[in-house]
Amino acid sequence: MKPSLPSKATPLPADWRDSGSPARGRYSYAFLDEGAKREIRRKMLKAVAIPGCQVPFGSREMPIARGWGTGGLQLTLALIGQDDVLKVIDQGSDDSVNAVNIKKFVSRVTGVTVTTDTRAATLIQTRHRIPEEPLRPHQLLIFQVPIPEPLRLVEPSERETRRMHAEADYSRMWLYLFEDIVKFNEITVGARYPVLVNRRHLMDPSPIPRWDVAKLNQGEALFLFCAGREKRIYAVPPHTEVVPLSFEDFAFRAEEFGGRRCGRCGSPGTYLDEVIDDATGRRTYSCSDTAFCEKVRRRGGVRGSDGPGEESS
Amino acid sequence: MKPILQVRNLTKRYGKGCPECLGRTGPLRETNQCPRCLSILACRGVSFNLYPGEVLGIVGESGSGKSTVVRLLHFDFEPTNGEFFLRLNGNGGTDRPPGIDPGQNLFALSPFRRRQVRNELMGIVYQNARMGLRMKVSAGGNIAERLLMAGWRHVGRMRQRAADLLAQTEVPVQRMNELPRNFSGGMQQRVQIAKALSTHPAVLLLDEVTTGLDVSVQARVLDLIRSLQQELGVATIVVSHDLGVIRLLTSRTIVMRHGCIVEEGLSDQILEDPQHPYTQLLVNSVL
Repeated sequence: MKPSLPSKATPLPADWRDSGSPARGRYSYAFLDEGAKREIRRKMLKAVAIPGCQVPFGSREMPIARGWGTGGLQLTLALIGQDDVLKVIDQGSDDSVNAVNIKKFVSRVTGVTVTTDTRAATLIQTRHRIPEEPLRPHQLLIFQVPIPEPLRLVEPSERETRRMHAEADYSRMWLYLFEDIVKFNEITVGARYPVLVNRRHLMDPSPIPRWDVAKLNQGEALFLFCAGREKRIYAVPPHTEVVPLSFEDFAFRAEEFGGRRCGRCGSPGTYLDEVIDDATGRRTYSCSDTAFCEKVRRRGGVRGSDGPGEESS
Repeated sequence: MKPILQVRNLTKRYGKGCPECLGRTGPLRETNQCPRCLSILACRGVSFNLYPGEVLGIVGESGSGKSTVVRLLHFDFEPTNGEFFLRLNGNGGTDRPPGIDPGQNLFALSPFRRRQVRNELMGIVYQNARMGLRMKVSAGGNIAERLLMAGWRHVGRMRQRAADLLAQTEVPVQRMNELPRNFSGGMQQRVQIAKALSTHPAVLLLDEVTTGLDVSVQARVLDLIRSLQQELGVATIVVSHDLGVIRLLTSRTIVMRHGCIVEEGLSDQILEDPQHPYTQLLVNSVL
């Protein structure tokens, strides 16, 4: 059945935020019906109880295409309350199509305030990045996950990967990294770097860059991951050990930017995007986290920044 | 001397089974398929001991259940019935993984523990190298997989150990980073042997290692197995239908037919003075 969304012609009733009944009007508060929310919340509790373990759940059809964040959106909608402040990031940017549309949709079906400020947000839905500003307790970070199974890379059978998780048999993943070193003399995994959570479960941290992997370890906030198409929820609770797989003589390394700074705000030590100007061929670097970059610039930028931010090629 | 490995009443049945299965199959009935329920008893009531440092042969025609026995001992699949004990404090035994009780039936262990026992205490070499090796992973990586499972986390040391093992099994070390599917059959078998020996197993299982290799390569592989076995003193079970292999490698032999042990004794005795009619037939039919 096609979900009946309010169109622009039929705005929300004025007393929407005060309505006690969840099913007032033609659809529930936050789009999902109460049964769906209960299912998702219960599976989230299980996921938090077993850090890093993938919990199957009854994924619902959403009014966006699969692969566009249906998993993250379901968690957001199941968790959001009227006092929440929402931020949505797509690859570090608050203004890309995906982020803007999810934000628009959620605020339309709930009426919550949206923000781009990481500090002000209580609920952050993200695709492929963790914000630069450290998260605080009581904040929730919800990841959109395309492939929740870290072992899919080495084992196509779901039955076999479940056995491997049950027996904590991760030697195939280790072997993959070993072979990578044999071939290229380094580990070439860029995004989706496999991590061991709570010394037990191998977890796919969603395609965040290696730069962000360290932020998962002993974090203050609750990290929730959901893949809508693959129907899996998993979580990293606050203060949980998250360790990327690495060898004694081949340590885990985050991306390196050779001491470069952001060309716009001048911040050192942020994850940088490389932008090549088509006309001039100039290579510039700027913060991937646009909201953070904007904030620093509004404060006047970082001093001594007009040096290595850009270079010609 | 106490046995390092004991097998009691090992049975593997494919199919539902019925009360008449045991009575209507076996060497006397000349079949291992129950005529009533059509279940197949691949092996039934097999019991034997393996002593430290010994090489035990299992011989029999194809379908007699000899491969089933070693692959059950390697936990490749679940037995229908039976007990399996390892006693490791004696000669050749390692103390890993800790806490293997000599009175513990290994078939009753959790899958996790069984995998640990298999990886750290047993090595297997299959007839078909595709079963024992990952063809899309380099020869060195195949050996490293077992070391990784045993908890090694140092790439340099693992590569060194793999190179040592490959040198020991006469595989050119400079081909360590190549895929085993580009190797010849004999070389694949030698990589399998290196892999099986990588974690100093207490028991080595050889399942038709030389079948399908040409005669000169067979001789090289057999020489290698014999010298390594003498050097390491690892208790070994050799499965073969080739009496030449049995004569060359083993000191004691079990003859199987239709899933049962029909004769057991010293290899010389079995080959020179067979008692059971089937063994007599087997010995007489050698070219």
